[in-house]
Amino acid sequence: MPDKKTVEYVAMLSRIGVSEEEAQYLGSQLSKILEHIDKLKELNVDDVKPMRGMNLNNNIFRDDTVVDSKTQENILKNAPSREGNYFKIPKVID
Amino acid sequence: MNNLTSQSGIQIAESIKNNKLSEKDAYSFFSGRIKKNAGINAFVESYAEPIEGLGDSALKGVPIAIKDNICIKGKKITCASKILSSHISVYDATVITKLKAAGLKIIGTTNMDEFAFGSSTENSCYGPAKNPWDITRVPGGSSGGSAAAVSARLIPFALGSDTGGSIRQPASFCGVVGFKPTYGRVSRYGLIAFGSSLDQIGPITTDFIDCAHLLNIICGFDKKDSTSSPIKTPDFSKSLKDDVKGLKIGMPRQYFAKGIDEEIKTAVLQVSNILKEKGAQILDIDLPHTEYAVATYYIIGSSEASSNLQRFDGIKYGLREPASNLMDVYKKSRAAGFGDESKRRIFLGTYSLSSGYYDAYYVRALKVRSLIKKDFDDAFKKVDLILTPTSPTAAFKMGEKAMDPLSMYLSDIYTISVNLAGIPAVSFPCGFAKNNLPIGAQFIGREFDEEMLIRAGYSYQCVTDYHKRIPNIA
Amino acid sequence: MQEFDTVIGLEVHVQLNTNSKIFCPCSTNFENPANTNICPVCSGYPGVLPVFNKQALLLAIRVALALKCRINSRIYFERKNYFYPDLPKNYQISQYKMPLGENGLLNLPAGSSVGITRVHLEEDAGKLIHKENYSLVDLNRTGTPLLEIVSNPDITSPQEAFDYLTSLKLILQYIGASECNMEKGSLRCDANVSLKNKGAKELGVKVELKNMNTFKGVRDALEYEISRQARALTEGEKIFQETRLWDADRQKTEVMRSKEEAHDYRYFPEPDLLDFFVEEKFIENEKQFVSELPLDKYKRFLDAYKLQSLDADVLISEKFLADYFEEAVKEFNEPKKICNFITGPFLELVNTFDGRFKDVKLSAKSFAKIVKYFAGGLLNNLTAKKVLALSINTNADIDEIIKKEGLSQMSSESELQSLVDEAVKESPKAVKEYTEGKSQAIMFLVGAVMKKTKGKANPKVVKELLEKALKK
Repeated sequence: MPDKKTVEYVAMLSRIGVSEEEAQYLGSQLSKILEHIDKLKELNVDDVKPMRGMNLNNNIFRDDTVVDSKTQENILKNAPSREGNYFKIPKVID
Repeated sequence: MNNLTSQSGIQIAESIKNNKLSEKDAYSFFSGRIKKNAGINAFVESYAEPIEGLGDSALKGVPIAIKDNICIKGKKITCASKILSSHISVYDATVITKLKAAGLKIIGTTNMDEFAFGSSTENSCYGPAKNPWDITRVPGGSSGGSAAAVSARLIPFALGSDTGGSIRQPASFCGVVGFKPTYGRVSRYGLIAFGSSLDQIGPITTDFIDCAHLLNIICGFDKKDSTSSPIKTPDFSKSLKDDVKGLKIGMPRQYFAKGIDEEIKTAVLQVSNILKEKGAQILDIDLPHTEYAVATYYIIGSSEASSNLQRFDGIKYGLREPASNLMDVYKKSRAAGFGDESKRRIFLGTYSLSSGYYDAYYVRALKVRSLIKKDFDDAFKKVDLILTPTSPTAAFKMGEKAMDPLSMYLSDIYTISVNLAGIPAVSFPCGFAKNNLPIGAQFIGREFDEEMLIRAGYSYQCVTDYHKRIPNIA
Repeated sequence: MQEFDTVIGLEVHVQLNTNSKIFCPCSTNFENPANTNICPVCSGYPGVLPVFNKQALLLAIRVALALKCRINSRIYFERKNYFYPDLPKNYQISQYKMPLGENGLLNLPAGSSVGITRVHLEEDAGKLIHKENYSLVDLNRTGTPLLEIVSNPDITSPQEAFDYLTSLKLILQYIGASECNMEKGSLRCDANVSLKNKGAKELGVKVELKNMNTFKGVRDALEYEISRQARALTEGEKIFQETRLWDADRQKTEVMRSKEEAHDYRYFPEPDLLDFFVEEKFIENEKQFVSELPLDKYKRFLDAYKLQSLDADVLISEKFLADYFEEAVKEFNEPKKICNFITGPFLELVNTFDGRFKDVKLSAKSFAKIVKYFAGGLLNNLTAKKVLALSINTNADIDEIIKKEGLSQMSSESELQSLVDEAVKESPKAVKEYTEGKSQAIMFLVGAVMKKTKGKANPKVVKELLEKALKK
């Protein structure tokens, strides 16, 4: 079961800030869910192939042709902050 | 003006074709109903002017609503999440392109659980949508806005998306037809992904006739979606035949065991009786791994979701909380932008994929997924179709399960396996509980055999009228 | 100091030469203005899906074949999850458990060979521009197809690492898979290096080196790092498993500020893409490009055409040149002369063209004709160059040009005699000097005759006639 440290680690990996209280609360909910999920351990799946996805057998490709999306300006317009043609962000390392 | 509430989409299209009704009048009729019933909170946004669809089809001119996770160029798209609060889509989802090409009039976007995480439409940044049959109850979810809107005839039909039951369960709670096609039948391009290997767009309609016609429009291979299938799309309207003679219909024991309301069980058994009378053969079958479906689903769906939702980071679009460095932009924006349920799923998924847990959770879940798929493969060697309840209960009270995520998850027990197996299924109204809440039954079919579901469903609706009942609202 | 064995492995990333990106149809010409080559897919927009560019797979197969890899017949992509602003989805579509190629080999000119662990496809990230208080993001490069080529830790010295990179680059350019321009970033290299006690089996602690911008930089960084580690080990210090950055200005490596977390990339199969089958016909088609690799060709050129190694080096540096040379030799079997004309006047011209070889329209057959005329005396050095310049972009008929421009060399003594006599008459000073024993003075007179013929005279014949005239 995930302890507080695990919840904090997972929060860090997923880049979601959590307060101490939230970590506790989400952690206890996760515990309950994982308890149910542990049901899967009842099954012996040693010889079962994992199912990676559906319709795996259609080799689908795209030809190497360039198409201008004409969406550049609208994409930049959606940016919370921009400078000219760039997305603007606070400095990467503090 | 005509009262269009009792008319299906195809009937409205016919009136338009015969010049008995103008497209404009049809649009303003439903616009008016949406406004009048804003209290149901089924819509996120309704457009004063329709988005022009210029093409032609059997449904030309009929208005349609779209779940708020399907991209419409130039329109707000939010997934009912604060993190996308002011985001404008820069492109059309493939289904939107197809609807436009078929001449349908997109009227607006419908409410949903944030990022489709939920079974009640309570996890929405716009507040919960309400069940038109009883506004103290949930409409189901996550496509609750679409189902409520169709049920209250605020719109003749709508599109939803289904990852673990998100079309079928709200359809059953609201007394309408909700269809989840085979994985790969409808392009996912432009559907904001939750579980990429599970998601599928589908129609929510009042009956199987509209369902078949809408499927004709939205299905088909799309070169922008590598997971869409090149298999040919049949004319689904040809399956609208009142004929179930000789069909073998299986009823899985595991779906009628513990946890199901007696009223639901009775109503679904009644469906089997009607089909039997019409010449179908009813068989008991087993889907032995049913009890593992919820756990499997929550691992796979959350793992994929945790990765899919990483793009919401406050850099390129969406919510950015003020911060002095990049790490804080991420942490603060995502903390403020995502609701609790989204956080739970992201954490669960991240945990299942993280080093040390990957094999124990994620890989194991993929293996159990194989077993669940095999259950269905085996069953379809014996039967043509499977009949089950859609949900163990009718619509529950708002707030009833909000504090207990696990019990909410477990209520999806009958719909989830279908997504894991990638097969088609449909929920349709089959009765009412004593408190006048609709009950839904579910047909499950073979891969790419949507036609069988439409045929059986249409035959059933030829001799019943549950789908014609309308909740008593303004 | 103690004696150590050096263990080096290299991880090379090259951009593949495709027109469009690996998963969307945006251009790969990232010299365009910032955020021009972007679309909803490569900008990580909600709802979009990747679609695999077949040419990226074909080029990757070509490289895998050139590096003698075992090619997996069924491959799939996975997501490598980490947050960084140059990675719009915050995951990179890459290959992990099932790469395209494994177990390859690269032979080096010096005779040794280096094993290739794996070759896999992935998408490139964008670029960040760091300002004083903020950063800017340009996504033009995002989604450019990348091939990661991982060597076995077989490399035993910085020089061998240098040779490995040089050979790899030559091959990749030669088969048309990548530009391999390290300055432009189309080739990037990280190195792993560790030391172990001489002859010992147990490996030492591995240090990763990054931020080398030239092959020389890789060699220098490795040399620095090896001596740093050797000194540390000799003095009984511990080596830490860490990433160090090469500082080319200060010629030293320094520890990269460690990120605040261990990497946990949470790889899992990319659900938006299906499995891909490397069909036999794909492989068959790519084999034509790797039938003879540069090193083999080099050896054959020395052997079959008796070329000097420097000349052979130039010819094999580009597949076009090597093919052009061989075709021309088929037409005029004087390899040395053909080679000289290619490495000389031909390349001189080509280097002035924007499109380099793409602008060459002259067939190798016609080119051989020019060399043949030159060798036979019909054209001299000057006129041959002129004919080449006039035909190289047009492939116009050589004989026609010579006729039209009146470029055929004047070798007939009767034609030249009167001009020689004129020159002697007009330059008494040079004549005097020559007769007084200054033999070079005759060149002035040769030049004068050449001028009178507008460069068409055969200088050899002129010189003979002059010598005869001055002897009188």
